[in-house]
Amino acid sequence: MILYDYILSPSCYRVRLMAALIGRRLDLRPVDFHPGQEHLSEPMLALNPAGTIPVLQDDGLVLTESTAILTYLAAHDAPAWLGEDTPAMRARVAQWLAFAQRLTDSAGAARAHDMLLAEGEIAALRGQATQALRELEAALSAARRRGEGFLAGNRPTIADIACFPHVALAPDGGLPLDPYPSIRLWMRAIRALDGFIEMPGIHRLHELKPEPGPMPEVIRKEKA
Amino acid sequence: MPTDWTPAALSDDIPAASAAPGQLGPHDLAIWRSASGRIAAWADRCPHRGMRLSHGYVRGERLSCIYHGWGYGEGGQCVRIPAHPELTPPEAIKVPVFRAVEASGVIWVAVEAPEAPPPEFPGFEAFRSLQVKAAPEALAGALGGSGLVVEAALGGATVVALIQPLRDGAVGLHLLAPEALGAAELDALSVAAEALRRRVEEGVTA
Ligand SMILES: N[C@H](CCC(=O)N[C@@H](CS)C(=O)NCC(=O)O)C(=O)O
Ligand code: FES
Repeated sequence: MILYDYILSPSCYRVRLMAALIGRRLDLRPVDFHPGQEHLSEPMLALNPAGTIPVLQDDGLVLTESTAILTYLAAHDAPAWLGEDTPAMRARVAQWLAFAQRLTDSAGAARAHDMLLAEGEIAALRGQATQALRELEAALSAARRRGEGFLAGNRPTIADIACFPHVALAPDGGLPLDPYPSIRLWMRAIRALDGFIEMPGIHRLHELKPEPGPMPEVIRKEKA
Repeated sequence: MPTDWTPAALSDDIPAASAAPGQLGPHDLAIWRSASGRIAAWADRCPHRGMRLSHGYVRGERLSCIYHGWGYGEGGQCVRIPAHPELTPPEAIKVPVFRAVEASGVIWVAVEAPEAPPPEFPGFEAFRSLQVKAAPEALAGALGGSGLVVEAALGGATVVALIQPLRDGAVGLHLLAPEALGAAELDALSVAAEALRRRVEEGVTA
């Protein structure tokens, strides 16, 4: 599978993260999105007239929506990530995939405004993003009350992976995450998943990394 | 400067071996719980280069800074500098510490220990913390009370609302719910709390 990719794009990171979590190797084709505007070049527009990335190409299939790409990867390699196969759960996952688009259009646009000087009415974007983050916090606190740590049940699904990047990067767009305790715990759970990969600004749970070097007490004892 | 206990977070929101940001008047806090369960509230500023310690990580009984990994233990004392593992850090490298205690599932903080312990609310348990962009009086008023501790009717239940003044025109609303409520009643309470926030932020008074 070929992924047209940009390292700083949260939507591309959705795809890279999903692939890493299920052990799918991707053939990455870096696109010089900024400052090169390569996503608007003729070859890229031929592939995706909408001029956005990511784009996934596999066996004649061309997918240009990151949430559709997540669906494809999971269905292809790891169907458990689609959520439980019940009408309600499938619909809940679909609901969160659409919600992820709201995050792209609000928190993502606020970040693009602040970091890449993109156009946008920043106060309105932050207002929409705050509304979305509050909805997410309420849903995740309700999930915690039911002993569930994720958006669609007690295991991570494509819904979590779709929502995670723009939430984790929201502070880059002037949206601090301090007011959202359930979002903080949910992000910890995702950052602790086996196979989790990082992108600039989003880190693996540090606690899981090995401690570099010995403790001073140990050294003192050895010297004594 | 607050002279009494201030509710800063709910105990369940900061599980063992994790850290979270908080506020106490003008101070930014790193509130963290050690692996063994001890809660602490420190200045949210690493003595090394000023990184927020609330972004840090907990190993055992130490909080470490995410930036260069300096580790801090008991009383905020720096106990480890990874770049110089053989060095015992000077005593002067210390994070300012605040008082922190837990009662009724709430983490209370203070600059100096107040004379009395924080209040207990028998029959209630911690429910949710929300941030509201409003003045403390406006929120208390919308709950039909005054002051920073309000017993109120909300979403069909009697709740205890702890109001925490925050900076930048916001308040923390820490809600305690009656212990006996079921999942559906708690969901209704959550919806009512969100509605209350909308009303208060739109400036509609009860
Ligand atoms: N189709 C959406 C597009 C995601 C998106 O907005 N991608 C940004 C980069 S992070 C982009 O390509 N923007 C191009 C533009 O707006 O001109 C998806 O796959 O989720
Ligand atoms: S800023 Fe904290 S260790 Fe360097």
